[in-house]
Amino acid sequence: MSTTAAVELLAGASPMGELELRIAVRGEKSVAVHQFHRGALRILRPHYLDDSGQVCYVVVNPGGAYLGADLYVIDVEVADGARLLLTTQAATKIYRTPDSFAEQRMRLRLGEGSQLELAPDQLIAYRGASYRQNTHITLHPTSSLAISEVITPGWSPDGASFRYDELRLRTEIRVESGGRSGLLALDNLLIRPPTHDVTGMGFMEGFSHMGSLIVVDRRVNQALADELHVLTGGLEAYTGVSLTATVDGISGLVLRSLSNSTEELNRLLGACSALLRQRWHGTAPLDLRKY
Amino acid sequence: MPSTPTSPAPYQLALQQLCDSALPTGAFAHSLGFESYIDRGLVHDEESFGVWLAAFVAQQLSYSDALAIRFLYEDVPVAELDALLTAQLLPRQLREASIKMGTRLLEIGAEIFPSPELAEYRALVGSGRAAGHQPLAFAVVARSQGVPRPEALAAYLFAAVTSLTQNAVRAIPLGQNAGQRLLRKAADDVAAAVRRAGRLDRSDFGAVSPGLEISQMRHERQRARMFMS
Repeated sequence: MSTTAAVELLAGASPMGELELRIAVRGEKSVAVHQFHRGALRILRPHYLDDSGQVCYVVVNPGGAYLGADLYVIDVEVADGARLLLTTQAATKIYRTPDSFAEQRMRLRLGEGSQLELAPDQLIAYRGASYRQNTHITLHPTSSLAISEVITPGWSPDGASFRYDELRLRTEIRVESGGRSGLLALDNLLIRPPTHDVTGMGFMEGFSHMGSLIVVDRRVNQALADELHVLTGGLEAYTGVSLTATVDGISGLVLRSLSNSTEELNRLLGACSALLRQRWHGTAPLDLRKY
Repeated sequence: MPSTPTSPAPYQLALQQLCDSALPTGAFAHSLGFESYIDRGLVHDEESFGVWLAAFVAQQLSYSDALAIRFLYEDVPVAELDALLTAQLLPRQLREASIKMGTRLLEIGAEIFPSPELAEYRALVGSGRAAGHQPLAFAVVARSQGVPRPEALAAYLFAAVTSLTQNAVRAIPLGQNAGQRLLRKAADDVAAAVRRAGRLDRSDFGAVSPGLEISQMRHERQRARMFMS
């Protein structure tokens, strides 16, 4: 089957899992005012990790993995002033997807003065896996967004890594206010190990794991980028930090890091997230494993 | 019997002028990230620069520059492509390099190859509705001069490869003959990139390699450097 045919098939197919979540402020706290799930996506009951009012939801894929032609659709809205931490219960695993691909489509909308932290567990693509993740984010110039992700090279019976067919992670971030809309960032990661050697110079630089942090907030500036550069400089991981263009007075910060271990990337991304949580939101570092 | 052409294609000399490394766009000031590899000792000779150059052509130049040029030739509005490039070039210095060289090319183009399309792009940039990116400035001018798409793509990519190689010859440094050997070899990669760009679609636009990107980002904080990017 051609890729186009697969796309058409997926477009017509009903999703394997669907999740809708709308978070709004009620009194002192952020709560879900709408939630819906169907198929192989669920969420656990909400947690409050501290007294900040930020609600934490954990997404669960009871099937444990994404398979060929599976489509997962996630739609999340964080209303004006609301604060959400969205994470997963376990790593997202992509198994063999013969002649097709697994896909996650995520739409995130952030209202005025809202905050979203998206901190999923790592993505693991196994031998023969193809996966596409399309994330569309719309935010207001006063919103605060932080997304951290870790991608691992999977594992295959012969012990080699990078045996998956294709990973495509495309994130589009738009800023909207007063009827205006502008594209702030387009982060498009495409890794296709069978087409060419992705391990060496100019691609993975001899590393196996990749971590990413995208922060969009009106307080993002060059000083913060320099600070995160210093903060991550002491680790073995090979890390770069830079700023996006500015749209409607708001900029983004992108941090990209290569390493040989999920733990090191989690530590590195956790240190950056802890700095932002403490400075901007007055909240403690995340320690999701204790809940 | 077919007649033997006695004059060059009408666009031939325009294209040569546009792609000449003497065209003052400031390309000599940009390594587009390879200087970070020199700093780390990973690019240090003809062979290692060739590895970097091949990766750069296969990734960055194929998925950003070449695709932007192709889409412009397919009538995608220049303002839309300009916004996509600004959003996709995440490392600040890379984005600034594209805009700096693009702005110069728009100025030069207005003097030597004026056209309504070029005036329109310049107006968008002048009013702040576009940034003015190098591949788009090139594509607008080349198209207005009647350069067919494959020729425009190949010429643009090879011009980019040429200025990067000349910069590497100065920076590493390499011998002049090594530079020419690198260019001859890069010609195959450029031809492959032109073919690849024809097969990609909108979802492929701006696909980057993390290694190239991180090196471009780290260049911002490199202490001793010859290049602006």
